[in-house]
Amino acid sequence: MAFTKKPLAAIAATALAATLAACGGGSSDDDNGGGSSGGKAEKGGNAIFLVGVRNVEHWDPQRMYIGRDLNNSGRLFYRSLVALPASNDPEEGTTPIPDLATDTGTMEDAGKTWKFTVRDDVKWEDGQPITCEDFKYGASRNFATDVIIGGPANYLFTYLDIPTGDDELPAYKGPYSKKGQELFDKAVTCEGQTITYRFKKPWPDFPLSIAQLRYMDPYRADLDKGDANNFAIISNGPYKLDGTWKEGTGGKFVRNENWDESTDPIRKAYPDTWDFREGDTDEAIYEQLLADSGDAQYTVTERRLPPSLFGRKDEAGDRYTQVESPYVDYVLPNFNSPVFKDANCREALKLATDRAAWIKAGGGPEYFKIADSVVNPGVPGYKPNPAFADLPESGDPEAAKAALDKCAAPKPVKIKFTYSGGTPTSDKQASALKEGWDKAGFQTELDPLEDTYYSVIQKPDADFDVTWGGWGADWASIGTVIPPLFDSRINLTGDSNGNDYGNYKGGPEVNKMIDEAYAEPDLDAAAEKWAAVDAKLGEDVAYIPLEITIFNFLHGGKVTGYANNVSVNGYADLAVIGVEK
Amino acid sequence: MGSAAAPLLSVRELEVHFPTSDGLVKAVNGLTFDLEAGKTLGIVGESGSGKSVSSMAIMGLHRGTNAKISGEIVLDGVNLLDISAEEMRKKRGREVSMIFQDPLSAMHPYYTVGNQIAEAYRVHNDVSKKVAKQRAVEMLERVGIPNPDKRVNDYPHQFSGGMRQRAMIAMGLINDPNLLIADEPTTALDVTVQAQILDLLQDLQREFNSAVIIITHDLGVVAEMADDVLVMYAGRAVEHGPCKEILTHPEMPYTWGLLSSVPDLTGDTEARLIPIPGNPPSLLNPPPGCPFHPRCAHRDKVPGDLCRTELPLLVPGQRGETHTKRCHLPNPDAIYATEVLPEIAPDLAAGAAPTRAEEL
Amino acid sequence: MLAYVIRRAVAGVIMLIVMSIVTFALFFASPIDQASFICGKNCSPAQKQQTAAAMGYDDSFINQWWDFAEGVVKGRDYPDDPKLRETAPETIVHCEAPCMGYSRERGDTVTNLIKDTFPVSFSLAVAAFILWIAGGVLLGVTAALKKGSIIDRGLVGLSLIAYAFPTFFVGLILYKFVAIKWGLADIPRYTSIADGGVGGWLSSLALPAITLAVFFMAGYVRMTRSYVIESFQEDYVRTARSKGLPERTVTFKHALRAALTPIVTMAGLDFAGLMGGAIITESVFNYPGMGKLAVRASQDFDLPTTVGLVILLAAFVIAANIIVDLLYAVIDPRVRLG
Repeated sequence: MAFTKKPLAAIAATALAATLAACGGGSSDDDNGGGSSGGKAEKGGNAIFLVGVRNVEHWDPQRMYIGRDLNNSGRLFYRSLVALPASNDPEEGTTPIPDLATDTGTMEDAGKTWKFTVRDDVKWEDGQPITCEDFKYGASRNFATDVIIGGPANYLFTYLDIPTGDDELPAYKGPYSKKGQELFDKAVTCEGQTITYRFKKPWPDFPLSIAQLRYMDPYRADLDKGDANNFAIISNGPYKLDGTWKEGTGGKFVRNENWDESTDPIRKAYPDTWDFREGDTDEAIYEQLLADSGDAQYTVTERRLPPSLFGRKDEAGDRYTQVESPYVDYVLPNFNSPVFKDANCREALKLATDRAAWIKAGGGPEYFKIADSVVNPGVPGYKPNPAFADLPESGDPEAAKAALDKCAAPKPVKIKFTYSGGTPTSDKQASALKEGWDKAGFQTELDPLEDTYYSVIQKPDADFDVTWGGWGADWASIGTVIPPLFDSRINLTGDSNGNDYGNYKGGPEVNKMIDEAYAEPDLDAAAEKWAAVDAKLGEDVAYIPLEITIFNFLHGGKVTGYANNVSVNGYADLAVIGVEK
Repeated sequence: MGSAAAPLLSVRELEVHFPTSDGLVKAVNGLTFDLEAGKTLGIVGESGSGKSVSSMAIMGLHRGTNAKISGEIVLDGVNLLDISAEEMRKKRGREVSMIFQDPLSAMHPYYTVGNQIAEAYRVHNDVSKKVAKQRAVEMLERVGIPNPDKRVNDYPHQFSGGMRQRAMIAMGLINDPNLLIADEPTTALDVTVQAQILDLLQDLQREFNSAVIIITHDLGVVAEMADDVLVMYAGRAVEHGPCKEILTHPEMPYTWGLLSSVPDLTGDTEARLIPIPGNPPSLLNPPPGCPFHPRCAHRDKVPGDLCRTELPLLVPGQRGETHTKRCHLPNPDAIYATEVLPEIAPDLAAGAAPTRAEEL
Repeated sequence: MLAYVIRRAVAGVIMLIVMSIVTFALFFASPIDQASFICGKNCSPAQKQQTAAAMGYDDSFINQWWDFAEGVVKGRDYPDDPKLRETAPETIVHCEAPCMGYSRERGDTVTNLIKDTFPVSFSLAVAAFILWIAGGVLLGVTAALKKGSIIDRGLVGLSLIAYAFPTFFVGLILYKFVAIKWGLADIPRYTSIADGGVGGWLSSLALPAITLAVFFMAGYVRMTRSYVIESFQEDYVRTARSKGLPERTVTFKHALRAALTPIVTMAGLDFAGLMGGAIITESVFNYPGMGKLAVRASQDFDLPTTVGLVILLAAFVIAANIIVDLLYAVIDPRVRLG
């Protein structure tokens, strides 16, 4: 989603399997894959995870939507039917394997029905067996849209075979009001330990979605307190919460005696405890990690090395790791603006866009890598978008001038760039783009907005010509990138453009391509079709990709088996990390 | 004047200078006077003339500041400028004490009147708090505070202005000092109360046989209280002599100015209140010659440019040795009688009566 | 006196009501769509609308304020949905009176949030207060008594420097060097007396309390110094000297007593303000106090928490004002309450 650069936003980065090149760190000769460092992990010790200033918003599996929390909970205390193995291999790390289910599920009816069988030797932290009904109940919670707020339930609403009511939401209202319960009971059924999900349309990569999001995790109806359970954790993994989670402070996880290692192929559960601490600033975290004394030696974090301390990264030796993020930042011409409804003007904008200057202004190649598609290279099926792949990194001012001559807008072409500003870096980056555009003959007005940014650009009649966005896939499929950003049927609703900030309307041709890509049960074939949609977007200049953020991490010196795995979007893979005692 | 016995207080060539970042402020220069026991000296002048600074110097209150003091202040045979700070402290409040202009700000708002009076007693007398308090009650009674045993526990703000000044007097006299300095004791009070306070001071002076220095800008107060008068201007004495003499035959134009700016207590409607034009001179850069010359209406009557170039000496004038003045005018008496008096008291001038001061 | 306190308290309550209305009004005047922040990243307009309804954000602000005010008096259920009470009572959180609201972002009642965070801010405020009053007043008096000396100039200079440094800077320096680089103190993590004993509590407080105290101390040194110097100019100090009182008595009984009165006022109000949380210090040291909570609440557009904290802080300040005025009446006999 678009909020990747806004710490304020409640919304963020999400799961995406990416080909996260491990640039730092040691060998990949062990099972943990690449991006690893430190000695071999063994049982015991007390590990620390510094959550930093962006607190956990939900521990309720149906409400979680932040990649970090989805990953960490999946590695420590929540298990799903299927999950991704701890691996940095782009293929292996993005292929689900059985977790609480006996296998990776059975697809029927060309992807419109999925069946999974729950293992009968797995238990909750209180010793109760995990049942098919728990999965069914968990799924049902997504529909209580007035209580279970914040999660990725919208995907389920699109697919699950439940009719839509007058309020444009499913006619089923969740397990609390039980309104329309019979509709849900038809769509999701249990026979013994086998659960069956029935969809309106084919959903071939459904297992990938439940491996990377937690919205289909099982839940205990008898322990459900609705919103009050937002930070409650009912564990079925190797750790359970000791006491309660304190929002703003964190919580401590200890071993869950009712987790049986033999049922779990993924989680190594090396440390005896995991202490999650919230609220430290990036500077505080990294000063400690650079000093590598005291608690910091046992620490891993999802926060990134701040630019102010970047120059000291060599002090950390092999505790420094660098991976490509699952996000892409891009700019969009506004198809509702008088200038950019003309394709020639958009072409000129594209040709004039100086991506190299933007990256330089943002901190340089240690922080960004040039992007040539809105799809991150880590997403299966990614292809460089031909519209941008051959574009010089600094743009082509001469060609841009030529294109601008053909642009219908009155000369000089005045445009307004509305972006998420308020930081020196974002203003510098915007100025860098302006310089390139102005060189080609545009006259760019910069319009930085802070808190109101998304409220403004989501208005279809907003007065801007170019704006900025950032996005990461929800799971390893282009289907979670292109439609959420550019499918006008789900985005444009009169008073809002959803995530389609450029108000792009693909029309029947693009709509058909999207529908066909969705319907393709073969994931490789589907990827081809998605790439074709992306190429069409490039042709139309629906967007102009800028860069891919690079993550720079440090971890403590007594952390063992450290790995930035593709299976957890390049973050530290807590399934395999240990600490010295 | 002219007693054979040594005076109680003898001030000789007193100088008080304050170094400041702008230069040396010469607050008091060459001040000399004597005061006998039981007598009253009135020091008169505008603000900034050095009268308060001199009294503070006598009290030793400039100690610990950067003031430069020279000359002699001999009290009872002891030069106060020679003794240690601790010796001076022991004399303060016991041998010489002081009451101030505004009794409200001069008393500590957080302590009872009794506490503050008793404190003055205890610091010089080794007595219990109870005894000191009893003594404070006695003194309050003596200065005319009704129900002193109750009012002793009042705070200053619970007293009226007159009562506060009475309490200050009680505090000043509780140790029976030889010398009492009263700095504008009535300025902050109602006219009716002023007279009562002055009466009280006179009574007590007789009773305790103290010498009193009364500092004021009000010649009416001087006329009522003083045996001798010292007029100060720009840090110097400009006229000095017996009270009656100064008031009836002033020889210095500044004194004339002071006289003409006294409101007529008898209500003579023809009398004019004439303020002295101009402002007191800067003590940092006093004018050359006579410091009063820029404001003096009679400087042209002095031959040559004497007023502007030469500081007149404090010397006896036409009326004898005890009346000294600092002025170049050769015939001040005549000018006063013919030019000044008709302006400020026409009735007196017409009747050729020598003075307006008698009625004061 | 009692009547005075009652009258002031009533005025204070009216003030609180006005402040709560203003806070609500400001919140709703903001162009930010709170519901979309809660709703998650893949949120359809219909879901957003449902979210707004569930949070009560679709109602007019005055109705919402009224619900809030009613909750303070009577307590409130979250969500207040009679149907849900029948079908799933276990999902309803009851917030007892005085209910300051329920934060969906934090999944707890504001009362509980305050219960969790207040001891932290209070501990910090007390520790810092003791340091800065002891240090600030002592050094200020010293500077005033040695006015013009090297000691005075040194103290004034130092306090100017300390005052000029932003709190976060002092905090980061202490954090970086004292805690991390030299390891002289533990990396501060708040420890309650229950968890760490008095020793643990104190040592966990040391760095943030010093950070906070440095800033206030700098101000208090200069303030105390100028009040004391001013007080030495007072007529009653001259009177005290002219009575022949020893300089010690003059200084302590007469000059300082009066000089310290305005400091009591300032200190009382500053302390009350700090009880509401030291925003910067708590953020730098990651102290889970009310200041940090306030920052997060405003960042997340968490109305209930914001309103609750605003009201609590205002109540502290109002109460401190009353207490300071009472104290004043005790110190200064001229002051009559009425």
